[in-house]
Amino acid sequence: MTGYSVVGKGLPRIDGPEKVTGKAIFTVDVDLPGMLYGKILRSPHPHAKILNINTEAAERLPGVKAVLTGHDVADVRYAFVDTPRYPADEQPLAVDKVRYIGDEVAVVAAVSEAIAEEALSLIKVEYEILPAVFTPEEAIRPDAPLLHESQFTGTSAWEEWGAAKRVKDYRSESSLNNLSGRTFVAFGDVEQGFREADHVREDKFQTAATAHCAMEPHGAVASYEPVTGKLHLWLSTMGIFLKRYNLSRALKLPISRVRVRHSYVGGAFGGKIDVFPYEFCAAYLSMKLGRPVKIELDREEVFTTTRQRHPITIHIKTGVKKDGTIVAQDVKVIADNGGYRGSGPIVVFLCHGFSFPVYKVPNYRYEGLAVYTNNPIRGPQRGHGAPQIRYAIDSQLDLIARDLGLDPVAVLLKNIRHKGDVLPNGDRLNSCGLQECIEGTAAGINWSSKRWQFAAAQPLGRFRRGVGISLCAMFSGAMYYPFASAAMVKLHDDGSATLYTGTQEMGQGSYTTLAQVLAEELGIGLEDVRVVAGDTELTPVDLGSFLSGGALVTGNAVKLAAADARRQLLECAAEILGVGMEQLATRGKKVFVREDPQRSISFAQAIQASVFKRNGNPIIGTGSYKGYPETNRYPSLAKGKGLFTSAYGFAAQAAEVEVDTVTGRVRLLNAVTYHDCGFPLNKTIVEGQVQGCVSMGAGQALSEEIVLEKGQLFNPSFLTYRLPLAPDTPESLDKTANTLEPNGPFGAKEVGEGSVAGMLGAVANAVHDAIGVRINSLPITPEKVLRALEQKQKAVR
Amino acid sequence: MRLPKFQYLEPATLAETIPLLMEHQGRSKVIAGGTDLLVALKQRLHTPAYLISLSNLAALKGIREEDGMVTIGPLTTLEGVSAAPLIREKLPGLAQAAWEVGSPLLRPMATIGGNLCLDNRCRFYNQSLFWRSARQPCCKAGGKVCHVTNKENACFSTYSGDVAPVLIALQAEIKLVGSQGERILPLEQFYTGDGRRPNLIGGGEAELLTEIRIPLSSHTGCMYKKYRLRDSIDFPVVGVAVALRLDQPQGICREAKIVITGVGSRPVEATQAGEKLTGREMRPEFILAASETAAAEIHPVRTDQVGPSFKRHLVRVMVAEIIRELGGVDR
Amino acid sequence: MKRIITLVVNGEQREVAVEPDLTLLEVLREDLGLTGTKKACNQGECGACTVLLDGKPVSSCLVLAVRAHGKAVVTVEGLAENGRLHPLQEAFVTYGAVQCGFCTPGVLLVAKALLDTNPHPTAQEIEQAIAGNICRCTGYVKIIEAITAVAQNQNI
Ligand SMILES: Cc1cc2nc3c(=O)[nH]c(=O)nc-3n(C[C@H](O)[C@H](O)[C@H](O)COP(=O)(O)OP(=O)(O)OC[C@H]3O[C@@H](n4cnc5c(N)ncnc54)[C@H](O)[C@@H]3O)c2cc1C
Ligand code: SF4
Ligand code: FES
Ligand code: FES
Repeated sequence: MTGYSVVGKGLPRIDGPEKVTGKAIFTVDVDLPGMLYGKILRSPHPHAKILNINTEAAERLPGVKAVLTGHDVADVRYAFVDTPRYPADEQPLAVDKVRYIGDEVAVVAAVSEAIAEEALSLIKVEYEILPAVFTPEEAIRPDAPLLHESQFTGTSAWEEWGAAKRVKDYRSESSLNNLSGRTFVAFGDVEQGFREADHVREDKFQTAATAHCAMEPHGAVASYEPVTGKLHLWLSTMGIFLKRYNLSRALKLPISRVRVRHSYVGGAFGGKIDVFPYEFCAAYLSMKLGRPVKIELDREEVFTTTRQRHPITIHIKTGVKKDGTIVAQDVKVIADNGGYRGSGPIVVFLCHGFSFPVYKVPNYRYEGLAVYTNNPIRGPQRGHGAPQIRYAIDSQLDLIARDLGLDPVAVLLKNIRHKGDVLPNGDRLNSCGLQECIEGTAAGINWSSKRWQFAAAQPLGRFRRGVGISLCAMFSGAMYYPFASAAMVKLHDDGSATLYTGTQEMGQGSYTTLAQVLAEELGIGLEDVRVVAGDTELTPVDLGSFLSGGALVTGNAVKLAAADARRQLLECAAEILGVGMEQLATRGKKVFVREDPQRSISFAQAIQASVFKRNGNPIIGTGSYKGYPETNRYPSLAKGKGLFTSAYGFAAQAAEVEVDTVTGRVRLLNAVTYHDCGFPLNKTIVEGQVQGCVSMGAGQALSEEIVLEKGQLFNPSFLTYRLPLAPDTPESLDKTANTLEPNGPFGAKEVGEGSVAGMLGAVANAVHDAIGVRINSLPITPEKVLRALEQKQKAVR
Repeated sequence: MRLPKFQYLEPATLAETIPLLMEHQGRSKVIAGGTDLLVALKQRLHTPAYLISLSNLAALKGIREEDGMVTIGPLTTLEGVSAAPLIREKLPGLAQAAWEVGSPLLRPMATIGGNLCLDNRCRFYNQSLFWRSARQPCCKAGGKVCHVTNKENACFSTYSGDVAPVLIALQAEIKLVGSQGERILPLEQFYTGDGRRPNLIGGGEAELLTEIRIPLSSHTGCMYKKYRLRDSIDFPVVGVAVALRLDQPQGICREAKIVITGVGSRPVEATQAGEKLTGREMRPEFILAASETAAAEIHPVRTDQVGPSFKRHLVRVMVAEIIRELGGVDR
Repeated sequence: MKRIITLVVNGEQREVAVEPDLTLLEVLREDLGLTGTKKACNQGECGACTVLLDGKPVSSCLVLAVRAHGKAVVTVEGLAENGRLHPLQEAFVTYGAVQCGFCTPGVLLVAKALLDTNPHPTAQEIEQAIAGNICRCTGYVKIIEAITAVAQNQNI
């Protein structure tokens, strides 16, 4: 439809051959001469004062090179959220207090992993146990123990980036204890809206903490060269420049002395963006000892200490007209963010950010609270707030449709936003395929026949089927350090090109899609592009692969860089061919005169000529792009003001489930997704992203759940944390709505995150459709299904 | 997580093995496929000074049939058991149970002997050293109190092996060989019901399991069903084996053995449920009675993520399902 | 105490001195530098560490290295021959069955073992064969497609 020759095709990924031959080097594969191994001692208590740490015996163990405790690095602070309002609350090693089971207490470096492990057992820590809190509801009570008595008063990262210093402590705004973040947004008049409504419904939903389960465990290798004063790092990370910034700041090294080097990332899903103590420790130890240090977390540490999705309680009150039109909505969410702030204030902001772009709600009030508890820390995870809020809102909308005897699809269609809408914060939907997505999804799942058919045809059978649908929205990048991406395109004598980009390949296919953007823009084939990436020294700055900014922000930078290279190439060709640039066209790596195609030179000739004639200029194109070309206003987390993103990705997802009413087991049979990603730069990769999201979403809807009792994680393994396996794979239909986002490169926007979110609501609604009862908490386990069926029967009797 | 240090001994014959077991009793562990033991070692549930490998004991491998008796060497892998034509044809319930263990990547290593000797499991016990350090050691780990029940000196950890129920239902016998010579006993007597020391040699006794014998005439039909939360990797939430002896197809039941895993500290035989069927025709009301009785005969404890009443419900459903299928009864 | 073990790794005979407490996974990665075999759980729960031991796929994190003495080991590095990708490798790239690539080596070896013994498996047999391999990225769809394609000998 577009006449493109490289983008839009399902070309094989360029990192494929390296990965299928086992040659791709991940951080855990990095092995340097003289390397030491680090291991971390962690707190076994959810809340305790550290009275004393005795490291002598550990230090004496042969092979141990260093033991560090909190006092060695007491002045270091960092955090994912480090703003004037919410200053950093993390330290690499606990200084006087531990706040969750797994909190870092000491680190050992030794000549082998086994010795480091043994040394840990020789460190003696005396604790004084403190009272602990394990739910946000307990934690906000006036008599609850405080996790963080004081706030850090030094300069925050955002102040370094230009945000104004703040004098007032946010905690003075509220009487609630242990608050770590709050977002409040309102527009219209909710009370009036409810008065005007024909039907008002209030519901409460509860989501579970879930794990990312990237298959590569987190690791870091640090190698400090004392002579040059340079620190080399290999990290499991989604954003090399953000890590470099945070680590250089924490280590008090000039940013240019820290180099994050390339390694592949074995999956991230949001779990590899925070700065982690093990990274700091590896670097610090390497600086101290002058030898490379590697720290690799084991799976239990990954589960317990590298963040989880926030479990959130969501209260929603919604008022609608008889025909299902929403007139007012009041949403209250309370998120458990664990012992440190993690991304608490962000997730409660994003629950708003992913709620309001979908439906037109004239009267709206939203309050989100993030609360400290003595549970593990919660951070970003694929969709970051979207799965929770979309599940709740769309579950309730399904209930409302039932109440009113309306078709849920009709209710969705009645309320969605459209292209051209301007959101209350000022964001404009330059593209929005919600309607197309809903219609496609409904058709794909056979909505009109199945929904009623299942309800009517098999009320008494053991196996009952149902269908459900849900929507989601997602940013395509947002304002966060380093705020922009740049790219460089270097042309070679043979007419091929190398792309220099700071993006990180973690499975999402960024090398390939960006190379496609370059190839298309420049007019060469994908096989003519090589990618140098993931190295802070070799590549220009990049936003990083989080908040789904990859395609839009980095993609635009690459496109501009390629255009710049192309312009230089044509300039040179024009000179040689003796015509004006505007008379030239390109095809098959040749530049020719449009009116006289015989007059042509190859790319290679033009590039070589440029080297000869222009003092060695081999043609290097550069380009850069900022998330919001048009604004300097950062979104305010607290008030939801300011622009959020320059393009929203959308999706509609439907699920068909089969419930075994005897064993309670739910099977996802069929999943349909229509994702409005603007334009799929690579069809295969986009499908792969969606299929991964569907699987994760289905897992989180049906079986995945971090089980905690008194702050202790009972299932820190793949055996007991039940993420989907191959036999769980549903039939799936994955389509895109190509709405061609004007801000995106070739029309592309977000694709990698959104379609986790819709699965939760789609599955929950399908289960309700199948068995006629609503389950208000995730995951929908067999036990819950049976309990719900039992209660329904009791009610009937 | 690395393995702890140990010495590795690889005796070549059974005759060499027994003295080693004696010599290192109390500070050694026997290793067969290692798929259970190595995880336990990594978690520091045990730190034996010696590992005594059985892998060279060729005599303990293989499957044969003699005089209406199938004999299986304990070192035969589960993959071997589930794929053996003899087993598939004559003991399909056993083939099924072996096939349902763990994942396809474990079954080529895991042995049937190791499966029968599988240690009991509990969510407070099968955890890393660090994890367990957050609490006092429980009874099974050498402490005083059980974290599941808060009782002293009692452990309710759950037997979760897949294969034992079928073998007990089939009235299999095992041979144990030790310094005192050998003894043959019904497999059901191998299990103690004590969570701390779930079988006769689980306390580090200097004895080996050397043979499993299954009579072919004890039953006319046998089936195993496993309920787990995912179709692979997971241990059973509940596994039910039933062996029936009918006097003729769809005829009168002469003997019924119903054995359940995942619901107690040993493979639990629902004897009363079996009796409800004995001497009866395969009729829905008797099947119902048997399944209700079976559910009442078990006493699951919350040692994993699933609640006891759910397990009881599953047992009721699965027992009825299997008997119906074996008895050729329509719903 | 170290002992010398001999094993044939990807067709090449190797001798290694190993402590008995090392797993085959550790020896492959740390002593033989074959880091294509991955460690993701170290407890037999995910299949990232799969190698073929005498032709059978096993979790090498639960195999003592000493147990591999005298056996043939195939790792992902041994799949391509003479610089040519194995058809499964080819198909995994073409069909998008690889994303982050961390589970890929293990899945490839399981698929090879499957096709070696059962050249034309059904979709269900494929799902069951790879049921011990966790992949978080792909949702398995394209992995199953890729293996199916090779089994059906499609043009890839
Ligand atoms: C991820 C995972 C999932 C699993 N899922 C299941 C499952 O679903 N169902 C299930 O039943 N099991 C499961 N297991 C446990 C285990 O893999 C199997 O039970 C297996 O059959 C054990 O056999 P093995 O040869 O590997 O035993 P090993 O680990 O070698 O030994 C187990 C125990 O038996 C003793 N032992 C072994 N052989 C003998 C002998 N001949 N004489 C005396 N003592 C002996 C050992 O000393 C040890 O204490 C799982 C394990 C893992 C890691
Ligand atoms: S049942 Fe009790 S004693 Fe036994 S392992 Fe579990 S917590 Fe320990
Ligand atoms: S690393 Fe061996 S199975 Fe997971
Ligand atoms: S491709 Fe990433 S886990 Fe499978």
